[in-house]
Formats: sequence, structure tokens, C-alpha cells
Amino acid sequence: MKGYTGKILKIDLTTGKSSTRTFDESHVRKYLGGQGFAVELVYHGVPKGTDAFDAKNVLAMAGGAFDGFPIGTGGKVAWAAKSPATNTLAESIMGGSIGPELKHAGYDALEVVGKADAPSYIFIEDERVEVNDASDLWGKDTREVPEMLKKRHGWDVKVACIGVAGEKLSKIACIDCDDRQAGRAGLGAVMGSKNLKAIVIRGTNDLTVHDPKKLLALALQYQKIYEAAGSWVEDTKYGTGEFLGWINKDRGVFPTRNWQESVFNEREKIDPYYWATRYVTKNKACFACTKPCGKLFEVKEGKFKGVAIDGIEYETLYSLGGTCGNSDVESVARANELCDLLGMDTISAGVTVGFAMELFQRGIVTEEEAGVNLAWSNASDAVPQMIELMGNRKGFGDILADGVKVAAQKIRKGSERYAIHTKGMEPPAYDVRGMKGHGLSFMTSTRGACHLRAGFYAPELVGKFWKWEGIDRFSAVGKGPMVATMENFMCVYDSVGLCKFSRGFYLIAKLPEVLEAITGLKFTEDELLKIGERIHNMKGNFNAREGVTRKDWLLPPRILEDPIPEGVAKGHKISVEEMNLMLDDYMKARNWTSDGVPTPEKLKELGID
Amino acid sequence: MVKMLVPYPENCTGCRFCEMACSIYHEGVVNHADARLQVHRRNVKIDFPSVCTHCTACGKECCMLHCPVEAIKKKDGVVYVDQDECTACGACVEVCPFGVMRMEEKAFKCDLCGGDPTCVKFCPMKAIVYEEPKREKHDQVKKLLEEEG
Repeated sequence: MKGYTGKILKIDLTTGKSSTRTFDESHVRKYLGGQGFAVELVYHGVPKGTDAFDAKNVLAMAGGAFDGFPIGTGGKVAWAAKSPATNTLAESIMGGSIGPELKHAGYDALEVVGKADAPSYIFIEDERVEVNDASDLWGKDTREVPEMLKKRHGWDVKVACIGVAGEKLSKIACIDCDDRQAGRAGLGAVMGSKNLKAIVIRGTNDLTVHDPKKLLALALQYQKIYEAAGSWVEDTKYGTGEFLGWINKDRGVFPTRNWQESVFNEREKIDPYYWATRYVTKNKACFACTKPCGKLFEVKEGKFKGVAIDGIEYETLYSLGGTCGNSDVESVARANELCDLLGMDTISAGVTVGFAMELFQRGIVTEEEAGVNLAWSNASDAVPQMIELMGNRKGFGDILADGVKVAAQKIRKGSERYAIHTKGMEPPAYDVRGMKGHGLSFMTSTRGACHLRAGFYAPELVGKFWKWEGIDRFSAVGKGPMVATMENFMCVYDSVGLCKFSRGFYLIAKLPEVLEAITGLKFTEDELLKIGERIHNMKGNFNAREGVTRKDWLLPPRILEDPIPEGVAKGHKISVEEMNLMLDDYMKARNWTSDGVPTPEKLKELGID
Repeated sequence: MVKMLVPYPENCTGCRFCEMACSIYHEGVVNHADARLQVHRRNVKIDFPSVCTHCTACGKECCMLHCPVEAIKKKDGVVYVDQDECTACGACVEVCPFGVMRMEEKAFKCDLCGGDPTCVKFCPMKAIVYEEPKREKHDQVKKLLEEEG
């Protein structure tokens, strides 16, 4: 079995001891790699009822099966743990070089358990594994930490770390590597709860390849396919926000001012077609990505002078822009930079600020309480100011630092009505009232409201994808089985480590030949989708075991009760009947109970114990 | 004029695809230490490729000059290590200002893939271009490397 190291490294921070265990082909056939490996470690490693901040929680990390090999966009690494935000098994995928480096060090996956008694960092250099003192790193930001560690260990080490938000157990804290983030579900806080500031890796071993010539030929073939695609030109010029204008004008589903509106009329200057030519000084890419959507965005004058970030991504243009009513792109960039440095997920952080701004609009929160003028008209200053308070847990920022669900529980006064989330996670940049299947996927996502567990925005916004055509985004009918299938599809992507922006090029049918060139193992399309189904069912079964069932999946009141007020999706919402119809269809398609619990038959069929 | 690998740091995204492709092409495995070039990702602002200049931009820090047994030779503009004569002393690795002279049992280095460089084929961003030598681009990389110490 080429392509895999066949080893998993386990580090217990309580004892400081590490151990390795081996796996064979049967493990690969069940879980594939990346997300599959990471989910398996959490699923089997975390005892029932464990608090996310308990030492018994498992923080897992694994590079996808393509990770470390020259397959364009195939350098994604999966992190997983029990999430403090959702109390579910949550994974978060990043485009950092830490996954491939772990493989070069000799391990396909890393399992971190226990809790260090003082701030620590993990140093791995092949067989050498150390838990070192991190007292000098504590309190430092996500750029200072790698700089200090590279000075100590050499410029070629790879560093994943948390910022101050993770140290302070913010439930929206992320993990950073190379200015890329595993953003969602608060996994940075799990690291913080273990007193783990950073993971540093240098790997020097060969990664073996079954058929090197075939792999290079395939890599070149896909390279040509990318370069010929329109999206290559668009991503390279404008980044992931390229379609922001279209989403607003032609689809009317860009959540604005905490989802009170769905078209951001003041969007001109946050549209990449405006800012790319004015602020972008260079393209940036994840490891192994030859289709770069990352942009070095630099502000060279004015009150936000000096800002330099890898961004701004589409989701962030919404979360720190539209949903905060913030039309100042330099302010969005500064807030994005603060989120990165302090180590907070830009989606959750921005949606939480937008929530606070609506509470301010309604008089539920005053300027005196907030310490910041949260008027929509003051967004340019208010958003970065509030982000800074949140990341440092200062003043009102302390109340907002755990996301909208916890903030609403603390603020009360009817604020729950304006908290937009499912399962405790803030939603991404798609107003699902005008894309109902995507609304279903917000509910069924095992880690809370997410656009990438099913990626269902693509089929609904375009009207066709893969084997489907003529998809009506305003209809709730037939969406259950489609969302279930797409979830399985996406689990495969996160397990091979391919970027989801490549899913239209490979679909599933093209993956077996790449896998075979790397590993020598043969898979069929159906076998891969079965692995995806297994991974999703493990997450679903874990969540049901933790008591997170259908009652906790439901959409927030705004989506069920307030129709979209203007634009091409005007008048649409997801009714309770439509929500229940979609959920019932979904449970049937999954062979889960109507409460959202995988049935014993399904678990047996998939070999899940 | 013999064409050379010319680095364009401003175009480099830091993806390191060229390193992987180089390693697989020459060695059949992925190991960044086997790659005949290096990509440096220093911080959010700086990524750059470091490539062999084949004696066009190394000046006094030239591997040919420093090889005590004259095992490093030049033919048709391409600098190569004569594997029969190399004693693996490491002097060339020590002196190479671009950090791209490699050593395992013997020294080895970029051979321009016989005139069709793999790294160039796999860089859609044109961060490495196969063209007439441009001294100033190599000097730009040398300066970036010096900053890293």
C-alpha cells in the first residue's frame, strides 16, 4: 500500500508521552484518509458525555489521501474534535502545509489527548516527538507564534497554532497554519483547553507513489483542465468573492444586516471587481494548489494602513461586510486581519457582531453596555473594534466571544429571536429562504449551519450539478435524498484532501484513477460514496449519542417566519411544513429514525461499531 | 543563448507544487529534500522559488569553483555533477547561494530535465519561467534568502 505511512501518532499531553500504532489496507478501505481518519479517531476516542473542554476530548488531525502529492488543489488537512460550540463531532478543513508535513514525518494522522499542566507546544521531527514549554508563546498572535518557532527550529518547519481567542476558550476560535484557518466549530478552543498553543512539524521521509509516471501525467491533465476553465481565470483574478454581485442581483440571497435583508445595496466596494485591482498585490495559494483563489490584500494608506491579509474570502465579505452592514472594504480587511491574528473564525465572529448590531438597532443593547457604537452607520469602526474586544474577551466582547447562541442566553430580553444559527453554529453567506435544500443542509450538517458539508448552494444556485438538472431552489420537494447524497460526496472530498472548489472537475468518477496512481488501491465510485456515507453516519451517531437530535437541528425563527423583503427572492421563506417535509425525506433517505438517529440496521450495513 | 530557469517571486503563490513534481519526476517519490529547487513561504507577504542558475548568477559562490576535485562540470550551458568523480565532500552544498545543491550518496542538482523543465510545466502562475537568463531576478531571490540567514 503506497501513498500512506500506515501509522498514527498519539500524544497524551497529560503525561507528555507519545505512541504510534499501525493500520493496514482495511482501515483505508473504511475511512480513506483526511476527514475519515480524523472522524474515526474522535468517534472511537471520545467517551460519551465528555465536555468539549475536558482533557478526554480528542483533537485529531489528518492529511487527505492526496495530501503531499502533486495533485492540484489536493493539499487539504482535516481537524476534528467534539465541538464546544455545537457539542457535536465537528471537523474543520484547512489548506495548510501541516498535513503533508505530518506525512513526511511518518504519520497519516495525529491524535492529541489529555491536557498539559502549563502552556505547551508539540514538536515533531520524524520519530522525535516532544512536548515543549510555550510560556513565551502564550498571548502571542498567529503570526508572531510561527515566526518565533521558525527562528527556534528553522525556517522550513510547519506550524499550526491558536491565537489569544483559543487560549481564552472562545467557542468560535480557529486553528491557523500559513494564514489559512480551520475556522469552524471552535476547534481552536479545544486546543486552548489542552494548553496547547502550537504544533510544529518537520518531516524528512519519502512519500512513496505506486505509479509516479501516471501520477504526473494525471496531474498535468487536470492542470490543463483547470487552466481551461472560466473559474480558473475568475478565482485567480478575483478570489472566491467573484460571484458576490451575481448572488445579490441575480439570486437575491446575500444575507444583509443580520439576515433582515437579502440584498446588500451598498455592496459596490466590497465586490472583488472593485477591490481586486486596487488592493491585491499578489496571489496566494494553499499547499499544492495550482488554482489559487487566495489574494494578498494590502491597505497602504488611511486609518487601516498596514493591513495585509490572505483574503478577502466570499464568506468574510458577508460576515464582516454585508451582515454587519459594512460597506467599507478596508474595514472588512482589518476585521479579517484581527480575526486571523486573534484566531477567530471570520464567519462566526462577523455574524455575531451583526447580531449585536441588530440588538443595538432594536434597543436591546445600548452603546453604554456594548462600549462601542453599534449603529449600522458606524459599521466601518464598530466591526473591527468589536472583533478586537471579542478576541481578547474584553467588556461586551466577552459576552459575544462564544457566538450568537451563548450571547443570546446571556443577554436574553428576547434577543434569541435574532440569533441566527443551527446547532449553535453561525451560518455562512447564503440566505437559505431562497434556496431551500441548502436550508435543509444547514440543519443536517453535523457541525451546525454550514455551506460545505453538502455544498448544496452550487446545485441550487446554478440549477444543475453532477447527475441532476432542472433543480428548483424555491422548492422543498425531493431535496432530502439529494442533500444526503451530497453530504456523502463531500465526505469523500475531505477524505482525499481535495479542495471543494475542484468538485466540478473531478466529481467522484475521476477520483479512483488518481487514488490508484498514488496508492495502487482500486476503488469504484460507489465504494468511495459508501465511505462518505460511513463517515457521515459516524458523525450522526456520535451526535445522537450526545443527545443532539432533530429537535436541535431546526432552523432559526427568522428563516421560518420572516419572508425575504426585497430582491429577486422576495417573499420566500422556509415554512415549518416545508422544513418538516425536507427533514422527513432526509431521514428516510438516510434510513435514520425521524428523530435523526442512525438505525441499528444502517450502522450494521456500514460496519460502524 | 541557452535558456535557464528564471524565478519571479512576485508570481509565486507558495503552493510548492513544483517541488513535488520535481521530486517525483527525478526520484519517483515525494521528498522536498530531493527537489532540485525550493519554495520559501516566509509569511503572508513573501513566497518565492529558489532555482539553480547554472552558473549564470552565482558569482564567487559557484559550486564549480569550490569543488576540490573538479567533479562539477558544464556542458552546453548546463552545470552537472560527474557522479564518478564526486567524493560527496559537501563543499558545493555549503557554498550554493540558492540552497539547491543536494546531497545523498553523491551530490546532485537541477539538470533542466533535459530541456523540458518539469517545474515550469506545473507552474501556471509563471513564477518559474524557462527563458534567457535574467541576472536581476536571481539577485532578487538571493537577497530574499540572505534575509532568512
